[in-house]
Amino acid sequence: MNKNNSKMLTADEASKIVASSVIRRRKKDARLKTYGRIAIGLAVSFLIFLFVSIFSKGIPGFFQYYVTLDVYLDRDRLDPKGDLSPESLYNGDARSIVLESLYKVINPKGRKEKKAAKKIISSNADVRISKMVLDNSKILGKTISITFAVDDDIDSFLRGYIKRETPSSERRINDTVIKFVDKLSAENRISYKFSDYILTGSASRSPEIAGIKGAFIGSMLTLAVCFIIAFPLGVATAVYLEEFAPKNRITEIIEVNINNLAAVPSVVFGILGLAIFIGVFGMPRSIPLLGGMVLALMTLPTIIISSRAAIRAVPPSIKDAAYGIGASKLQTIFHHVLPLAMPGMLTGTIIGMAQALGETAPLLMIGMVAFIVDIPGGVTDPGTVLPVQIFMWADFAERMFIQKTSSAIIVLLVFLIFMNAAAVILRKKLERRW
Amino acid sequence: MVSNSNINNVKTKTIGEIFSKDPKIICRNVDVFYGEKQAIKDVSIDIASREIISFIGPSGCGKSTFLRCLNRMNDTIDTCKVKGSISLDKEDIYDEKIDVVTLRAKIGMVFQKPNPFPKSIYENVAYGPKIHGLSSSKEELDFIVENSLKDSGLWEEVKDRLQSPGTGLSGGQQQRLCIARAIAVSPEIILMDEPCSALDPIATAKIEELINQLGKNYSIVIVTHSMQQAARISQRTAYFHLGELIEVGETKKIFTMPEDKQTEAYISGRIG
Repeated sequence: MNKNNSKMLTADEASKIVASSVIRRRKKDARLKTYGRIAIGLAVSFLIFLFVSIFSKGIPGFFQYYVTLDVYLDRDRLDPKGDLSPESLYNGDARSIVLESLYKVINPKGRKEKKAAKKIISSNADVRISKMVLDNSKILGKTISITFAVDDDIDSFLRGYIKRETPSSERRINDTVIKFVDKLSAENRISYKFSDYILTGSASRSPEIAGIKGAFIGSMLTLAVCFIIAFPLGVATAVYLEEFAPKNRITEIIEVNINNLAAVPSVVFGILGLAIFIGVFGMPRSIPLLGGMVLALMTLPTIIISSRAAIRAVPPSIKDAAYGIGASKLQTIFHHVLPLAMPGMLTGTIIGMAQALGETAPLLMIGMVAFIVDIPGGVTDPGTVLPVQIFMWADFAERMFIQKTSSAIIVLLVFLIFMNAAAVILRKKLERRW
Repeated sequence: MVSNSNINNVKTKTIGEIFSKDPKIICRNVDVFYGEKQAIKDVSIDIASREIISFIGPSGCGKSTFLRCLNRMNDTIDTCKVKGSISLDKEDIYDEKIDVVTLRAKIGMVFQKPNPFPKSIYENVAYGPKIHGLSSSKEELDFIVENSLKDSGLWEEVKDRLQSPGTGLSGGQQQRLCIARAIAVSPEIILMDEPCSALDPIATAKIEELINQLGKNYSIVIVTHSMQQAARISQRTAYFHLGELIEVGETKKIFTMPEDKQTEAYISGRIG
């Protein structure tokens, strides 16, 4: 020991030293607090930026422009066979009936102007008429006013994304079309209202009629499959590892591997699914069943890890109590451990499911990126999911898809919020059993 | 079956009378290991029918470990190994044919910290009879629950709120609920692991009174840190030290004229 320092400090000296160090310590505390606030502020501002950007683009995506026309529904031309079958209506001449009623309003002269006029109304107009006739055949032979979605370029023009001042050669729509649109506006035939297509439509190359229903149902089906596979498997694995498995080398290796699997990039699970489910078992691609199975592989580690943590958090005294009055291992687990661990398990499961809901990469690997117009009716029908739909739309060139992409993101976020809220409510309910 | 001839023919370093006339549990040369570490060394003792015997000794002396051997609660610890023989009614409880479920139905246990299930008071008591199928109707079950709660002295306090959570009771009430839960399956023996160490003196007094009552019908083995408690409630006392059973005998004798120096030192507060 150093001789100079070997003397003990007096109380006065000590308190002086303490006092001087207190100021330094307080400053440090204050600095740390400031850093924390800056970090939170940054995070919140990013979040606000994200939400403002998505909602400002996405909310308009739920609305679109329509044109109202008085259409004479000519029975012979719409329904050439006269049996009102979808096939007959499909063969009918709905498209030209719509165009004729448009021509009546805007009076195009010559072939060039007629060609320009054709660009105004969405190509889906004939389908809309067929559907109306199918729903109510009494309207045949009458003249009624119907609203049709305008073509996406016209929509963008009306929103101001395509500017009148831009030279005609650089615009996607020419002066003639603009003249017609102005005429329709002047006659009060253009309206802006909630889109008929965004929530009920399916994938389409024409943005004005593209919707997310197919992807939404695909997501639900995929998640359902994922949950049905991953939850029981995950819980069973966790119970086995926590309560039954002998503590030896093999269980240790399994444990380490499960922890590692949780960190494996999701695209790897896609490749695994491609190789095993499609390559070896020959399952059809693009179906929600396959997607759910791949996502189940991905979420299993998350569920297992959180379930094990939940089981471990059950007080040993409760297990002792059950064993003490002669409950068997199975009774102890099912009557006491699982009910107490359930809230924690559900939390982990919901986190895993939320992850699965937002997952794109592994689904691309198994072909769920295919362009599928039909809405899947079951887990074996080809389909796609919301995040993949967003990914595809973000890739398309048409201006209108930008809004549609943001709209789909909003739907995905709302879906997620609902799932999390359901999880919170469920957990609260289960926890109330003291 | 453990043959009669060698039961009372055992070499032991323990001072005092380890045998009893009417033994319920017979332990002979019991060693307990936690992995490499030996926690119990060559313990032989009888536990008689309807006697209250207390295990005393300093912390870590192995009395709780030994207690948990008696209903095989140590089975849940992977590294724990039990050697020697422990028999209940002359049947080896570590025999492969013995089912721990039936064993623990015969030997109930009350723990140090009150540990009611996070369920209603009624469910707590009814759980044991339910899983063992002791009642065939709701009325029978109600009867068992009522009787058990009466025996544990809790009935008057909780009869109007049987459906409220067991965890909402006070510490002493919770412990009596745990005792009710243990006696609901009609055991022959009740093991108590420091049942009053988490309770205040008033609750402790109630539990002690209860133990005295229960002693008329059950064999009770109680581990305690309180020598006054041991002196108050037990007929026999066993003193453990460092995993060995040092001395057994009539409680009065142990506390007034212990034969062993270590026992005397502990009793008079010099070690522990």
